[in-house]
Order: sequence, then C-alpha cells, then structure tokens
Amino acid sequence: MTKDKFEKLTEINRRRLMKGIAGVSAASMAGCIDQFGGSEGGTLNFAQEKSPIEFDPVVLNDVPSAEICQYVYHGLYEYDDTTGHVPALATDMPEVNDAQDEYVVEIDGDAEFHNGEPVTAEDVKHSFMAPLEEETDNANEVSMINSIDVVDEQTVQFNLEYAYAPFTYTLHRNIVPKAARTDDKEAFNTENPIGSGPFEFVDWTEGEFVEIERWDDYWGDTQPNLQTVEFTPVEEGTTRITTLQNGDNDVIKGIPPDLWSEVEGMDDASIQQVAGVGYFYLAFNCNDGPTTDPTVRQAIDHVFDMDQAVSNFVEPTGVRQYSPYPQVLIDEWDFPIDEWKSHHNEKDIDKAKQLFDEAGVSMDYDWRIIVPPDDKREQIGVTVSNGLQEAGFSNTEVQRLDWGAFLSQYITGNADDYNMYTLGWSGVPDPDSFAYFLLSRAEDTLAITNGTYWGENSDKGVQASEKFIEARSSDDFDERRQLYIEGTNLVMEGKPHIPAYSLKNSFGVRSNVSDFAAHPTDQFHLVSDHNNVSLDE
Amino acid sequence: MGIGRYTIRRILQTIPVLVGIVTITFFLTDAIPGDPVQIMLGPSPSARDIELVRAKYGLDKPLWVRYINYLADVSPIWLWPKATFPFVELQTGVDLGKSIYYSVPVTQKIMERLPVTLLLVASAFVFAIVTAIPLGVLSAKRRNKPTDHVARVVSLIGVSTPSFWIGLMLIIVFAYHLDVLPATGLILPWANPAEVSGAENRIHILMLSFIHLIMPTITLGTLQMAAITRIERSSMLENLSEEYVRLARAYGVRERTILRKHAFRPAQLPIITIIGLNLTAALGGSVLTEVVFNINGMGRLIITAINNQDYPLVMGTTIYYGMVFVIGVIVTDISYAYIDPRVSYGEAEA
Repeated sequence: MTKDKFEKLTEINRRRLMKGIAGVSAASMAGCIDQFGGSEGGTLNFAQEKSPIEFDPVVLNDVPSAEICQYVYHGLYEYDDTTGHVPALATDMPEVNDAQDEYVVEIDGDAEFHNGEPVTAEDVKHSFMAPLEEETDNANEVSMINSIDVVDEQTVQFNLEYAYAPFTYTLHRNIVPKAARTDDKEAFNTENPIGSGPFEFVDWTEGEFVEIERWDDYWGDTQPNLQTVEFTPVEEGTTRITTLQNGDNDVIKGIPPDLWSEVEGMDDASIQQVAGVGYFYLAFNCNDGPTTDPTVRQAIDHVFDMDQAVSNFVEPTGVRQYSPYPQVLIDEWDFPIDEWKSHHNEKDIDKAKQLFDEAGVSMDYDWRIIVPPDDKREQIGVTVSNGLQEAGFSNTEVQRLDWGAFLSQYITGNADDYNMYTLGWSGVPDPDSFAYFLLSRAEDTLAITNGTYWGENSDKGVQASEKFIEARSSDDFDERRQLYIEGTNLVMEGKPHIPAYSLKNSFGVRSNVSDFAAHPTDQFHLVSDHNNVSLDE
Repeated sequence: MGIGRYTIRRILQTIPVLVGIVTITFFLTDAIPGDPVQIMLGPSPSARDIELVRAKYGLDKPLWVRYINYLADVSPIWLWPKATFPFVELQTGVDLGKSIYYSVPVTQKIMERLPVTLLLVASAFVFAIVTAIPLGVLSAKRRNKPTDHVARVVSLIGVSTPSFWIGLMLIIVFAYHLDVLPATGLILPWANPAEVSGAENRIHILMLSFIHLIMPTITLGTLQMAAITRIERSSMLENLSEEYVRLARAYGVRERTILRKHAFRPAQLPIITIIGLNLTAALGGSVLTEVVFNINGMGRLIITAINNQDYPLVMGTTIYYGMVFVIGVIVTDISYAYIDPRVSYGEAEA
C-alpha cells in the first residue's frame, strides 16, 4: 500500500501539505547528505509493467521478479554503469585457467546475508548447482557448469563442461543462503527471501505491490539513500502514465510510443533512457517454401524499407539496428557496422519484382507472416505484407498469434505455417548471446535456430555456424572478434534475418527523484558503485 | 411444489451443467494452439527441459487420462476402482490443481481474487440499479418529452460505448488532468486498517474503498445502467397501458399512486431477469475494467492465465465464473418465483 494513501486520496490539498511535511521532516531528521549528494530517507514508488511472481533466484524466470531481486541479492559480480563487470560478493575478478574451463573466485569475507550468516563458498555452490539438481525452468542458464569445488570457506572453483568465454556474465547470478533456502523453499521463494543485497524484502501481495526496505546493517560500501522502495505493477500504459503525472508513482517503467511525447511534455517528470541489449528481427523460413532461395529473401528486402518501418513504429522507444548485435556490442567489439549497414536495401519495388521473377515465384503464392502479440512487430509484419502486395502478390496474410501458439509454430519449418516471422532476443552483452544462440546449428540452439533452419541447406549457414561455435570457446579476444566478423558477414550476405531494431530501457522519472540510472542490461540501478537514488523534497 | 423443493430441484439441475462446463472447458483449453511449456521456458528450451516440465505438470499423459483425473479432482466426491475389497476408493474434496505460472494451488489464487471481482460487480450493479430505475421510470412517465429523449440518448450511448474506453476517459479526466480520483487499485472495505498506510480506522478504509470504486464502478456499471434503463422504461410503459391502470385512473386514483403501486412493482420483474442474465456481461466486462484500473481481481487473473496458457488456472477460473453465473441464474429464478405469485414452481396448473 502506498504511503500516505489516505491523505493522498481523500483530500488533495491535505495530501500536498502532508507530502511537503513528510519531505521536510525526512530531510531534517536524516540531516545528512550521502557521497553522491542525495538526501536520505523516503519511499520511492516504482511502477512495473508486470507483476513479479517469485523471489528465489534459483527458480525465478521472469523480468519483473529479477528487477526486484537485484536489490535483495548480490551476485559474485555485477554490472558497472554500462556492461562491464565489477566484483560484488567477489573480492576480485575470477582467475581463469588457460583452457577457459576453470574459474576460481574468492568471496568477500565481510559479506553476509540479512539473517546475519556469512556468505560462504557452500552458498555459492548451492546457488549455481540447485537449478541443475532441482531441474528448475531456468536451469539452462547454468548448464555449462560441470561441477563446483568448494576450495575453502571463501573460495570456490567452477569446472565447466566446455570452454565458455562469456562465463563471467553467468557469475552475475544471485547468491542465496543454502541453509535458509533449503529449510523451507516455498517460504523462501514467496514469504521470506534472504539475500545479501542493500535492501531487505518486507512484504508482497501478488499483483498489488512489493515492498523492500533499506538494510541498515548492510556490509557493502554504499548504503542506499532510499528507506523503502515500493514496486507496483500497472499493466495498462495510459494508467501507468497517469500514476506518474499525479504523483502516485515516482518512476514508471516502459513508456508506450504513443504516449512518449505526453511524458516528455510533463513539467515535473522526464524520460530516462538507454539502449537495451536486445535484437529484434524479421526472419525467413529457410527450410521450406520460396524463402529458401536467397534471391527471394533479397527480393523481400526490397519490397519495404526497414528504416522507415522502425522510424514509424518503433522510435522513439527503440533504435534501428543493422546487425544481430546491439550498439553497445558494436562499440565494445569495434565491429565493422558500416560494412554491415551496406547490406540494408532501400525500398525498390521494380527491383523486387525482377528478383521474384528471376526466382520464379508465382504471383498466386500465399504468403504467410506470423507475429507474436506485440504491436511493433505486428506493424513490421504488416509493412512487409503491404510491400508484397505492391509487388503484385494478392495473397498475403499477417497472423498475430498468442505466445504459446507462436512459439510452437515458428519452429516447424513448414511453409504452410510461416514464410516469415518477427521475433526478438535479449541476452548478456557478449556477441555469443546473439550469434551462437540465434545463428549457429549447435545441438542446444536448434530449438531457436530451427525457426530459420539456415545452415541446414546453405553452405554459408554451415560456415557461419562453425565460426560462432568456435568463437565461444576461444580465449583470445582478437580471435573471437575475427570469427564473429567473418560469421556475421556470411549472415548479412545470406540474409536469414533482416535486422530491425533494439528497444531502449525507458523510464518516466519525476523531478523529485535524483540520480536514477537506466541500465542497458539490469534495466535500472537504484544503488550501485556509480549512483544512489534519493528523493528530494 | 413448495419453494423449498423448487430450490433443491434447481440446485440439483446445476450438477449436469457444471459437469458440462468442466468438460467443455477442459477440451477447449487443450485445443488452444500453443504449449504452456514453451511459454514457460521461452524460445530456447532443450528437448530434455521440455520433457521434464511436461512430466512435472502431468502434461505428458494422454488427454483422456488427464480429463478423468481432472474430473475426479474437481468433483467433491469420486470413486476410484481398486483391486482389493471394497474395490473402490473414495476421494473427497475439490482440487483445481496447481497453477503452472504461479506455482501455487489454483483455489488459493482464486480465493485471493474472487472477492475483489465480486465487490466490483456488485458495486456496478448497485450503481446501475440506483441510476437506471429512476431514469427509466422518469422516462416512461414523461414519454416523448425532453426528459425521455435525454434518458434514451444516455442509455443508447451507454449501451454502445465500450467499457474500456469509458474507463480510459475517466482516468484521463479525473485522474490525469483533475487529479481528484485514484487511477489504480482497489481497497477492500474489509481490509485491516493497520495494513493500509494512513488509514486509522474502519471509516477511513470505507472512504478509501468508496473513492477507489467510483471510476471502476461507473466503467463497469454504465452498460448495465443503460440496459436496465431501457428495460425499465419499456416495462413501465407496458404496465401503464394496462387496463387495470386505466381503470384506476377512471376511479380518480392519484397519478403518483398509480405509478408507485400499480405500475412500478410489476415492472420490476423483467429487471430481475435482466440483472441475472447481465451477470455474465458484467463478469466479462470486469476483465477489461480490472486491466484498465489495475485492480487485482479475477479478470486480470484470467488474462494472465490465458497469456501464459496456464491450463489449470484457465480451467479453474472458468469453472468459478461458470459457478457464479449458475448461482446468479438460480437466485434470479427463485426470486422471480418468490416475487411473482403467477410463476409456478413446476406443478401443473389447476
């Protein structure tokens, strides 16, 4: 329940007076300014797009829950202000053997859980092995781990099944206290989650609110300024914006494109945004039907202009992307984006018709594009469909499917089910997340890459796949970079996907909130080594 | 047949209806394209992960086995065959299963959410009745006069305007621009004052509850209000043109008495019927209302269940809605029979 709700709702003038008094008294009582210059105390009201459903990192598998857990728990490592690693529970970066399949991590001796127990190597081992042992829904996130050795109380060694270059990202996984969790897993998940993070879990009613409170005995360096954070799910976009406007919430996550200017125009709120680590694309069925022919894929790329589609339907909530890698990876890995950008085709119906003609596609062909329940992706599908009609095809269909139906259908490889589909992918800020999982033909990726089947019947696909598989187990940055460039060149030429856009992580933030930081992978930071959110009067 | 026997007979008649609801819901849910395991695991599951999760929720069993198991679980009493004497085993109690998405019993989830939706629907009907009946009576009394025209236009707009649009407009005007009403949430009148910040006693809770209910009630109740107004008007007009009313007028009975005593009471019978039948529309409308106003009721639960293809939750919520509707119809029938002496309890007319 929102603080001062009664005052806020029964008497507007009284509400404003009370809020003012509360602000003044909070500041005067605290009477101190933290290292980031913010005042301490107060409750931050934060509107999420969906309700969290669980709080045990061993089992949780959804974004809203993870957004909250990142403040209740710590991982061995966390993200800095962009996508770099900083030790959290670890004392330093991991020691890695030459074969890149053994990682040794030392745990900070001061680290302890909310119940006063120290964070030990056994807790770390349990946090990583429990998903595999309990066969949880998120077990695939740690499936590269073969075993974990407890070297001593504060040292743990991860033994991997295979060399896995991005493993440090896996070490961001939240650590739970083994004893407290195994004592009563159900209660730990929903009633009494215990972590080592700067906030303690206080209360939760599913679908209504989650309250976390500053842990006054926090062992880390930066004590949060905020006394309490209350997360409320507000699913409807207009309602969410209204709660920002009338002050029910201080921060809202997710600004719909059609309401973007409304938030921009607010006197006492602004938009904070950062490009996320994601990739949205139009994919072709390379297993069956006319789109198995690269010429047809080229032709389809000419029936519409992705620049225009992204500009019309995605911006300003997202940005155009010309390769499978989001901008942050392009920058960090210095990928040749200009070269990849040259593969973008502008709309040219005559050229498209000529290519369709060369490929021998009948004008009676029934095109079928499937899209998930998302307006942006549906609009891109409709744009392609309209382009095909301009090119002379009369039978084009865009079918918007629920997630269940979509996920079952887009991997059949059957042209009766789909010729094209739109989908998105997010991952850790490493090219492996996008190249290996979306474009390789390794056994554990077929459930995803079977959407396009590119590589089943294409030499370029086979070569690209080999390069991406090789890149993940290399310990040399330059070698990995070269492999990704070569593989991606093949992808851009073969066009199993047409890259479309990546979304921004966007937030509406009221002006009384200081030092709020949108983050590319964690969504947002409330307290970290680079920020500490506070509430002004 | 007395009203007691009539009531028992109507209740017994619900058993095959409920079995029908369970059966249709089960097979329709299974026929929905897609796979809950795919949704749960996202677009990257290994075949082994899929198998494990399928087995965990019993989705690996044949459809008919799952149906029989489900029917047994939701039936208060069920007899399973057994190899040893007495060759049957009694299973009692209703178990709607465990939600795949929430990982808690479906009944628990429904019990959390049902009171919220029932409060919303009840308040919508109270709003509808309190506004529609005077409007309908006034409209009939002043037939073809400006009041009647206004009432008819209002009810026409109410019937033809989608409830979610009304909700969004109310939010934009009263929450966004004027900032006089809360845009989200609902506080239950029976909430513990100690758990609501700023509320010190029951009066505060009731006031908060009332304030939070205003916009959702109008949103959900407008359609009902419009429908009832139209029925009330036509029913009043019909009764006002009856011979006994004309006779009363001829005897010089005052118009107010005629309206109140001779026309109004019989005109309410169709209203009872329309309320009973519109219960389904109100429950359906609550889905959108709850989403727009961020109210944590059955409507949002159903949306979550469907979006995640949470089979047990979809079936559980549908069965509960079915039960609420069946109970609504029975109560309507019984009240109809009770109020109108002309309605028989099923005996042959003498």
